[in-house]
Amino acid sequence: MNNTRLVLIGLLIPAILMIPYSIFSFYTDFANKNPDPALVTVDFNGITFNAIEGKKTFEQYQCMGCHTIVGNGAYFGPDLTNAYERAGKSDAALSGLMLVGLPSKGMPPMKDRGMDPEDAARTAAFLKYANMLDTNGWPNSGSWERNGSIDGIQEKRLYPSEIWQVILGIIFFNVIIFGVILAYERRKQEGRL
Amino acid sequence: MNEYPSRAKTRKYFLAAVLLFVLQLILGIFLSIEFMFRGEYLFSIPFDIYKSLHLNVMVLWLLLGFIGGLYYLLPPEVGRDIKYPRLIDFQFWFLMIAGIGIIISELFFTGRNWWLVEGREYLEAGRAWDILLTLGLLTVVFNVGMTIRERKKEMSSPILVLAMGAVGSILMYVPGEIWFNSLVAAEYFRWWVVHYWVEATFELIAAGAIALILLSITDVRREIIEKYLAIEVALILLTGIIGQGHHYYWIGTPQFWLFLGGLFSALEPVPLFLMVWSAYKDLKENSKPIPNNIALYMIIAASLGNLFGAGVWGFIHTLPQINFFTHGTQITASHAHFATPGTYLFLVLGMAYIAVPELSGMMNFHQFRAKTGLWLLVIGFLNMITALVIAGVVQVYLQRLQGVSFMEVQNILLPFYGWRTIAGLITLAGALLITYDFIILYHKRKLEE
Ligand code: HEC
Repeated sequence: MNNTRLVLIGLLIPAILMIPYSIFSFYTDFANKNPDPALVTVDFNGITFNAIEGKKTFEQYQCMGCHTIVGNGAYFGPDLTNAYERAGKSDAALSGLMLVGLPSKGMPPMKDRGMDPEDAARTAAFLKYANMLDTNGWPNSGSWERNGSIDGIQEKRLYPSEIWQVILGIIFFNVIIFGVILAYERRKQEGRL
Repeated sequence: MNEYPSRAKTRKYFLAAVLLFVLQLILGIFLSIEFMFRGEYLFSIPFDIYKSLHLNVMVLWLLLGFIGGLYYLLPPEVGRDIKYPRLIDFQFWFLMIAGIGIIISELFFTGRNWWLVEGREYLEAGRAWDILLTLGLLTVVFNVGMTIRERKKEMSSPILVLAMGAVGSILMYVPGEIWFNSLVAAEYFRWWVVHYWVEATFELIAAGAIALILLSITDVRREIIEKYLAIEVALILLTGIIGQGHHYYWIGTPQFWLFLGGLFSALEPVPLFLMVWSAYKDLKENSKPIPNNIALYMIIAASLGNLFGAGVWGFIHTLPQINFFTHGTQITASHAHFATPGTYLFLVLGMAYIAVPELSGMMNFHQFRAKTGLWLLVIGFLNMITALVIAGVVQVYLQRLQGVSFMEVQNILLPFYGWRTIAGLITLAGALLITYDFIILYHKRKLEE
């Protein structure tokens, strides 16, 4: 077959198929029963904030730089998809946590970034919405249903004296790699490869 | 070489790319240290800021490397110089200034203004920067398009594939900039940027560049290389475009993606294997001596990194049954640190090692330093990947299967994070050696001028 035709088939068939797939994903009965972000709200001081505003503040304060949401993001903090449930479905608890952070574990107080209680309430509305998403059953596992209390485990630090076994392992691992490389270069110089 | 004076302008692209790669590594080492000493921020900067810079600096140097490579490789293939040579300089400084702007925004304006910092993974740079960058990059599309339109001879297919990839990458930046109220739709289109970059358009750049380089350094028949390239490209697109589905398992999109994504992304290693195999075959058939050994090494590293990092490491967690447990763990991190540097770092370095010595008129440069640097990079990355994959398996087992809490698991993973930092330092040593080599190669010309 002609080269150009081959490439065009490779490009066009899946690209055209993506159109109905995308429509099915959002506009038909196939679509998951996700909530409307405009209707998920949190009240604070008599004002109502919805999850659309919350999505913007969630992006602005860069929560995804440490946390994952629906599993996407960074792996420094726990996944936030079900954080609302873990915090006992309490907007106030979540907002309070964001504002003061968990400095010893690596989460800075969001107050330092200019977050006010209103923005915290907005972000809480977003987390409430995230908790209602139909994510095909993800995430699983027992600990995710810890109710109420934020993680009670104390963080630890890594000091070199505590990793001597690992250091030995690293040396062992690298001696093997080195051996392979040296053997390879040797054989190449001898012209046997 | 003097036929195409604008080629000389691309040297700074490669040097900047290598320097930014070093910056990315340093940021990565900072990140790994913060993993070990959680509350103690290095220079009072929290994790997320280093993390977003780590990613944005990478996007920047990849773009620099690809654009530089395209401008370097294009002129002889179309038989004429780049149409607007001044734009090459302008685009370079534009990218540099945008890069500095993004860094300053991250450092001082995170949380202050959504237009400056948007905090979505890979697209952390704020909306204002996104729009500015897209407009600036469209001038690259314009310049390349005009040059190709007024070509003096028929273009070969590798350069067409490369140009398609580069232009596609720039266009694929756009879907991520549309605002959606729903998190599901926003994530859906954010992956259009990220996935269609690394698994489609960048992959085209890699396939095209590798074919082009093999064409220029070996004496294998053109038709053979072009035929393989066409099959590779068709398969990359056929599997990669719907393979997107492996990002749609758990973000609130329908279950049919579990089937589509699993099926097509499981096939993604096939074209990558073909790439390695065809390169191997070409080199075996070749009877022409290859003086620029180091560029060849880099290209081989890139195709192997692509096969193992993207292909194998991707395959091990791409099936939905497995991804249900591994999604959002260090397994993903291990894959990312194998696939991206394994393919695109070595590709950019390979193009740089072809372009910079030639432009500096230094074809017989000493290759020992570069080779040592390459091996250090390989060793460093292998350590990093291994540490992360062990951490990932432990994390999946404890956190996802046994239900141990997040922070408890992190405490258990500390030794592997320590290993990862050491790996980062080895990698940094290799990168510094290669940077030093580039600076020397870069300056040789200056002295002679
Ligand atoms: C610099 C990194 C960082 C940033 C930025 C960050 N966090 Fe955190 N966050 C953490 C860490 C670390 C923890 C502690 C995890 C633990 O104790 O298990 C945490 C804990 C939490 C928890 C408690 C989760 C639980 O189940 O234990 C919530 C809720 C939370 N963060 C929300 C947010 C929100 C909302 C934002 C954005 C406004 C944010 N975080 C930004 C690092 C960060």
